[in-house]
Amino acid sequence: MLSDLIYRLRAFFRRQSVEDELQEELQYHLEREAEKYRKAGATPEEAMRRARLAIGGPEQARQQCREARGTRLLDDLLQDLRYGLRTLGKSPGFTVVTILTLALGIGACTAIFSIVNAVLIRSLPYGDVERLVYLFTPNPHFANVPVEAFGPSYADFFDLQRQSHPFASMTAFEPTSFRSASENTAIRVAGARVDGNFFSTLQSFPEAGRAIGPEDDRPGHSNVVVISHALWQSMFAGSAQILTKPLRLDGGLYQIIGVMPSEFGYPHGTDFPVGDGVANRTDVWVPLALSPQQRAAREWGNGYAIARLKPGVSVRHAQAEMSTLMIRLDLLHQADTRGWGAFVKPFRDSAVGSVRTLMWLLLGAVSLVLCIACGNAANLLLARAAARTHELGVRAALGAAKGRMIRQMLTESLLLGLAGGLVGIVLAYVFLRGLLRLNPGDIPRLNEASIDAQVLCFTLLIAVLTSVLFGILPAFFAARINLVEFLKTGGNRGSVGTGNRLRSSLVIGEIGLVVILLAGAGLLLRSYVNVEAVQTGFSSSTVSMNIRLDDQYASRDQRLAFYRSLLDKIQSVPGTESAGVISALPLSGSESLGSFWVDGYANQKDQLVNGRTITPQYFFAMGIPIVKGRSFTGEDAEGHPLVVIINHAFAEKYFGNRDPVGLGMRTPGPHDPLKTVIGVVGNVHHTSLEAAAPPEVYEPLWQTDIGQGAFVAIRSLLPPENIATSVRAALRTIDPNLAFAGIETMGDLISQATAHRRFQTTLLTIFAGTAMLLGMVGIYGLLAYSVKQRTAEIGVRIALGASRGRVLGMILRQGLQLTVVGLLLGLAGALALTRVLVSSLYGVSAVDPITFAAVPALLLIVTIAACLIPARRAANVDPMRTLRDE
Amino acid sequence: MTEKRLELPQGTLDLLILKAVALEPLHGWAISERLQQISRDAIQVQQGSLYPALHRLERRGWIKAKWAISENNRRAKYYELTSQGRKQLEAETAAWRKLTDAVDHILDLA
Repeated sequence: MLSDLIYRLRAFFRRQSVEDELQEELQYHLEREAEKYRKAGATPEEAMRRARLAIGGPEQARQQCREARGTRLLDDLLQDLRYGLRTLGKSPGFTVVTILTLALGIGACTAIFSIVNAVLIRSLPYGDVERLVYLFTPNPHFANVPVEAFGPSYADFFDLQRQSHPFASMTAFEPTSFRSASENTAIRVAGARVDGNFFSTLQSFPEAGRAIGPEDDRPGHSNVVVISHALWQSMFAGSAQILTKPLRLDGGLYQIIGVMPSEFGYPHGTDFPVGDGVANRTDVWVPLALSPQQRAAREWGNGYAIARLKPGVSVRHAQAEMSTLMIRLDLLHQADTRGWGAFVKPFRDSAVGSVRTLMWLLLGAVSLVLCIACGNAANLLLARAAARTHELGVRAALGAAKGRMIRQMLTESLLLGLAGGLVGIVLAYVFLRGLLRLNPGDIPRLNEASIDAQVLCFTLLIAVLTSVLFGILPAFFAARINLVEFLKTGGNRGSVGTGNRLRSSLVIGEIGLVVILLAGAGLLLRSYVNVEAVQTGFSSSTVSMNIRLDDQYASRDQRLAFYRSLLDKIQSVPGTESAGVISALPLSGSESLGSFWVDGYANQKDQLVNGRTITPQYFFAMGIPIVKGRSFTGEDAEGHPLVVIINHAFAEKYFGNRDPVGLGMRTPGPHDPLKTVIGVVGNVHHTSLEAAAPPEVYEPLWQTDIGQGAFVAIRSLLPPENIATSVRAALRTIDPNLAFAGIETMGDLISQATAHRRFQTTLLTIFAGTAMLLGMVGIYGLLAYSVKQRTAEIGVRIALGASRGRVLGMILRQGLQLTVVGLLLGLAGALALTRVLVSSLYGVSAVDPITFAAVPALLLIVTIAACLIPARRAANVDPMRTLRDE
Repeated sequence: MTEKRLELPQGTLDLLILKAVALEPLHGWAISERLQQISRDAIQVQQGSLYPALHRLERRGWIKAKWAISENNRRAKYYELTSQGRKQLEAETAAWRKLTDAVDHILDLA
């Protein structure tokens, strides 16, 4: 095998000396043969003649030797390349347009693929992800709570760990956040409390130092921390002595024991459908170090559990086994909420599942764009092949084999494709930078997208593939030249008619694809407009911020006192109109559900409602209208009658026709004291803009309680930055150890809530626009070429009295015919394909009549514009000149 | 004379060349002469098939070529069998024998 290769390479690269040797060898043979005849008595001339006769044609032998050497393909390729470069160089306009068309398609494909590669394909920074699963213990009592909110309770977790066989290891962890001091300002860092098996279960290892192990996961030994690569760089400037440094978190001093590599930032907010404020990337990991009481807590889970399946164990097997165990563990739970089950969810599904559809959608759309670019390139090549009929005819007449001519044409398209690929890579860099700027923030690993070796391989692959795709038709067309016809017409015309039909079909196909993309983009655009028009129910200029109290605020009284003084301080900041505190702010990803009881309503067991705890000014600060009754006042505090405010949706659902104000309800259960409804407020889109506003119950903070974390909403005359500065100052005077996070206007939160849709819509619109542009270039090119070809005919028509208007109409009609056929095909395709968009649509149907009317209208207008230039050129044909040329 | 000449079945020429150079290195002309002599003129190899075959065999590594001074004091390209070629020769000879035996057998029976 190897000797074969060496032989061929030598034959190829040292072609001249190999040829010389062969020449010498054959000459020697001839002379010996002649010598033989001379010895037999022939004259030297006669001997030479007989020798030549005996051994046959030397040129033929030489040619066959060349083939035996196995370098012919290579030789031909070299020849084709030289020839191709020369012909392409001769028509720079054609070459540049083709390369740019392809580069646009290939560049867009490469950019999107680099994202898909980062999000879906590139391996996650954990060992053998296929064996990682999340464990949840869902409970049908809480039917409208997403299953991912049910991490196992610690008592359940440890029992599962002890008894379950399908898992090689299990880990429990809680996402959280810490306050840390950097220079003189307090900052919040995203963190996780993890047990001793966290890193070993994920099989993720630090780049420096060691990970948290079982020996750290004990109360009293847990003041150690593993930090992220990013934090190491930002907070410690990449210091080499990092493992000797302490880190202050929430007032405690932790020893840094390890640094995780840059790609590791688990848990991410995007890993959980119920975000609950989990940050996008985690920067610090500390031991969970549960106390014995915490380990024994049976009722509710606080965090998440991940397990690694033993080799060969399937998810289904694990599910069955965990279900069996949970049936027993459920009996240890409180009787009234029993029903805790088991759900084993593949880790990869959470890590990539939610964006998989979007990724495939983008890849699909961009490949349509590439197809259109290919169609254009094929059309350009076909036009050129027709223009090259003469050259090709001569070659065929001189005996060029059909296969050889096809190969020659394909070499040319390969050259074009590779050049397009090269320019495409440059474009892809530009596209990718733009794409990353559009990052909606909820697509995991999107910002890690880069054009790496894998992506470049992909680019090379599609460049070659598209070259063949757009080159094969023109190549066969060129090889099909009718030699007899060609010679008969004196080498002026070949068989052009078939080429035109082919080109028209290509343009029709392109327009069909354009219509599909336009329809998809149109539907998404309409949905986006609908989402933007959703009445959120609150004012977008209100400034909100998040605060998290530390362990010093252990009692309710301390917390309430803190919020009272905080609000007092904020109120006294000049410009403040109103300020309120709420337990769970709309669109912040936080949520709290509680059970309740409405007197005089057919209450269901386990009915849940979104419950909020607020201070009196909250509705004014948020601009939420009071529809009926009154808001809370300072009077609605302890020692006064218990009161609640409900939203419009709640009033409709649970009070029906009754006027709720003055009626009573109870939280959480039917035996709790009666609370009087004192007001009804407007609906607010709490979890998403696209879901209907849910029923909500507000309770006054001064009569209830609030957890460690809360949100402050401020309505002020000052611009947001000034508010931020003054409330930070106000907070420092109360407790310098605390810090606000996420200071944003509600408008920012709305914008974040629509970012995903904006990303999807923007990209699809750009693709559709690009596709339309390419499609128009295609139809323009076809008509321009056809006009050029028909100049003589048009000249005759005009000379015979056809008006210029008629000629213009004739060409326009030709363009419109193609468009209408393409349009009909495309609309049929769009009706079939937009179904995949259904889940992404909001307020429009997949067969939205407005979109399906607007797309043809737009397309026709643009087509007419594209056809007008060649049509006018046709109308301006000078009959005298063309007739003279004939 | 022409009617005495045999058409060589596909691939047979390779076998004959290998056999011809098995005893000693030979140049192209000598190979064709030897084949002609041994076959008593029944087989006459044309230049057009001999040299491509030599190149093919060399590419496969069964023979190797070197330039040497020939018996009439000229530079000539000599081909000799490689060890790989010797194995190939044995294998092909055995295969040929088997084939001809089988063919003979069938012809005798019929």
